[in-house]
Amino acid sequence: MYALMFGQFLRTRTCQIGLVLILILGVISILIGKQFLIDQEKITSDVVENHAGHLKRNLEFHSDDIGLLLYYLEFVLVNPSSPIAALSIGQRDINPSVQSVNIRTLEGQRHDTDLVNPVSLLHGNLDLSFIILFVFPLLIIAFTYNLRSEEVESGTWRLVGVMSKSKFKFLLMKLAVRIALVLIALVVLIVLAALTLNISWNAAFVAFFVTGFLYQLFWFGICFWVVSLRQNSAVNALALLVIWLTLVILLPSALNNHIANKYPVPEALTTIIKQRDGYHQKWDTSKRETMEKFYTKYPQFESFGFPPEEGFNWLWYYAIQHMGDEESLDDSQMMRAKIEQREFKSRNWAKVVPTMHTQVVFNDVAGTSLTNHMDFLRQIQDFHEQIRLFFYPKIFHDENAKQINWEQFEPSYVQQEEEIDWIGNLLPLTIGLFLFLLLAVINRKAM
Amino acid sequence: MRIGIVLLIAKHFWTSVFKTRTIYLLMAIVGILLIYSVYSGTRYYDQNHFRSDHQEMARKSWEGNPDKHPHRMAHFGTFAFRTKHPLSQFDFGIESFTGNAVFLEAHKQNTVNFSEAGFSTGLLRFGELSMAMILQTILPLIIFFVGYSAIVSDREHGTLKLLLSQGASWKEILFGRSIGLAWIAILFSLPFLLITLWLLINDHHSSGDVWTRFFMISMTYLLFALILSLVTIFVSTGSKSSKNALVKLLGLWMLMTVLLPRSSQALGSYFYSTPTKLEFRSKIEAEVIQHGDSHNPNDPHYQALRDSVLAVHQVDDVTELPFNYGGFVMSVGEEISARIYNKHHNELLEQYRNQNKLNRWLAIVNPYLAVKNLSMALCGTDFESYVDFQLQAEIYRYELAQKMNELQIKHISPNRVSGSEGKTHVVSREEWKAFPDFEHQYLSIGRSLKNESISSISLMLWTFLAIGLIVRQSKIAKAI
Repeated sequence: MYALMFGQFLRTRTCQIGLVLILILGVISILIGKQFLIDQEKITSDVVENHAGHLKRNLEFHSDDIGLLLYYLEFVLVNPSSPIAALSIGQRDINPSVQSVNIRTLEGQRHDTDLVNPVSLLHGNLDLSFIILFVFPLLIIAFTYNLRSEEVESGTWRLVGVMSKSKFKFLLMKLAVRIALVLIALVVLIVLAALTLNISWNAAFVAFFVTGFLYQLFWFGICFWVVSLRQNSAVNALALLVIWLTLVILLPSALNNHIANKYPVPEALTTIIKQRDGYHQKWDTSKRETMEKFYTKYPQFESFGFPPEEGFNWLWYYAIQHMGDEESLDDSQMMRAKIEQREFKSRNWAKVVPTMHTQVVFNDVAGTSLTNHMDFLRQIQDFHEQIRLFFYPKIFHDENAKQINWEQFEPSYVQQEEEIDWIGNLLPLTIGLFLFLLLAVINRKAM
Repeated sequence: MRIGIVLLIAKHFWTSVFKTRTIYLLMAIVGILLIYSVYSGTRYYDQNHFRSDHQEMARKSWEGNPDKHPHRMAHFGTFAFRTKHPLSQFDFGIESFTGNAVFLEAHKQNTVNFSEAGFSTGLLRFGELSMAMILQTILPLIIFFVGYSAIVSDREHGTLKLLLSQGASWKEILFGRSIGLAWIAILFSLPFLLITLWLLINDHHSSGDVWTRFFMISMTYLLFALILSLVTIFVSTGSKSSKNALVKLLGLWMLMTVLLPRSSQALGSYFYSTPTKLEFRSKIEAEVIQHGDSHNPNDPHYQALRDSVLAVHQVDDVTELPFNYGGFVMSVGEEISARIYNKHHNELLEQYRNQNKLNRWLAIVNPYLAVKNLSMALCGTDFESYVDFQLQAEIYRYELAQKMNELQIKHISPNRVSGSEGKTHVVSREEWKAFPDFEHQYLSIGRSLKNESISSISLMLWTFLAIGLIVRQSKIAKAI
């Protein structure tokens, strides 16, 4: 019976076009993901390769003046992309994954963006997560909207009643055929992705896979429920498309508007003005006053005393640079709090909107979420302070740059191991799936 | 074709649609979406005051500087904050993906930072709900839904034969129904346009070409509604059953609005690669150094420059010149580095335009894209408007740097060869006030439209094509 059903369905145009289209789009998305990874690796390797030369060149020119040397020297911190990022690019296209910082004011440096085409950002990435989130449900709708109604409309429904014991069981079998085909297509694409991108089957990738799987089942649940309402094909198609539109476009975008409007981030603009003023205005104020503020923050350097009010001096110069960060600190922290609030709110909403939830899980396991970037920004801050505190005494003592072991300043890589919250990831979709299945089963008798 | 009959059929279609309950449900849904999108649009636009407040804050701090060496001011620099166009309330365009603030200082072209997307969770990637988005994405679905069965169900019920036997021609029926459907589509669009008009009237920033822009936006969306109505009737006439007509139209919608635009943009980016930031910067740096390193006192290029300047003024040392030589060298360096930066920046923009080209051309076959592109351009929220902001900021940056160099050349003693620290060798603070603040000007409508000729042509073509399709259909259509 199943073999017959498979054969019958495979011969339909909907099935053939649908499967071919999704496989082509899927392969394109994997290639685009691969290109993204290659680009990311190139950005990283360029910076890393360049860094050795940068160090060497500056050491050649300025090793007699360590203050000037550190004015120019940049240090690199990399937030490496997991290969899963190719499947769910998330926020990685806009947030840089490599940061070069010098020991001057941090706030003026760490928000520099990469070069990106805003129009491409507007249209969005065609990565596998898009195919899974947006296109697979459309395929599922196309496969199932007339599961029952096609029999009714072609006059075979009565025949089914005669031929099989239970019409409901018959529909379940038809559904199983479609589920099998869709899931096979998904497995093919995911295996293909794993091979093309050399993704190892670690917990993160398994989570990606299982979530994608469950998400498709959730859509089958919705479709089966709509089918169980016994409307004609046109009504089913329309109802399902409206559900798709609501879950995939309207609801998330309305929530996005809500969150973006509720938590605007003007503090970002205040931060950059204040960091500039905090530093620059110190050129015109008392050096002693600046140093006092600096020593309150870093009492360990107090022994370096106060430089003369007239003339230039590196101790004072790096102190005023640091004042840029000190005086913009409040706004910078408020900005971070606002952004974290945004993330918190959208994650909360995601728990009840399956599309958003699936995207959150994908971006989390791929390390491409906003949270991941916020962590990176925090690590840049620590990295910056660590380097400053290493070099401050050397600059203040005017040490010879040649005596420093420069090899320890090769580009560093951030480690962001995230625990996978299996229950939190899978529960919302499972609940949704069972809810719709239950609704469908309630309608069983009437079918 | 008798106009009277056409209008009669149109009116009849209109009344029959309003006899159903669904149309009121659709109106209610669109009404809710409209209210929410207006609310969001105005709230986003209100954020302009953050930008102008900060522009003021930055200016105050600039003017508050005491007398000092102009080169200190060149590095003190200032900021350019991008302000939203009043029409951005209607169409957000690429606004959320473009930077909003750029630091302007001498020798260095900084990136435009703090885009909304940078602060956003993955949510933004599902899209944004704007008035334009509803008209572009949701309205087609509504037109399809209201009109998919317009002809085919009459055929299914046998009433079409009746209508034809009563003396109406195929042409009259098809155009009549199309016009009736278009009226309904326009009824749905009008509130959006009227509210936008009302917002513009109440906005004191609306001036100049904003009314022309509004008029063209209205035309664009009305044409779009007409094209969609004609296409719906065409598909309805050509389909075997109502279900087939609906499925075809829904498939068309998916292809036009969801799959094609994203795929073609992705392919565009795939085929035209852009440099990484480091590549971009180092190329510029390498080229600037070829023209001489102004920071290296022994650089042959700048040595030659110094020798020629000394020779012209018949002196032996830069301190004997009648002007400050340091300022002069910096102004030469600034000119060279800005020219090279602009060249590379333009190349980068050209590459972005190449990436966008596929979607631009696809507007010919996809009227959704034509409307989307045109609408963004008309609302000042498209790529070119953003590029224009960057250009304005760069011009201002260059003028600021050169003004400070000029002040140094004129007012700083030739004896002060290097360094800018301290209270001697300074310029009066009045000069800071005398230099005007940055003011973002919106791109003129002429320049906005110049970039969208393909989309405009596409809409015209589609109008004719859709009419042509109906005419052709009227000759081959069957009543049974």
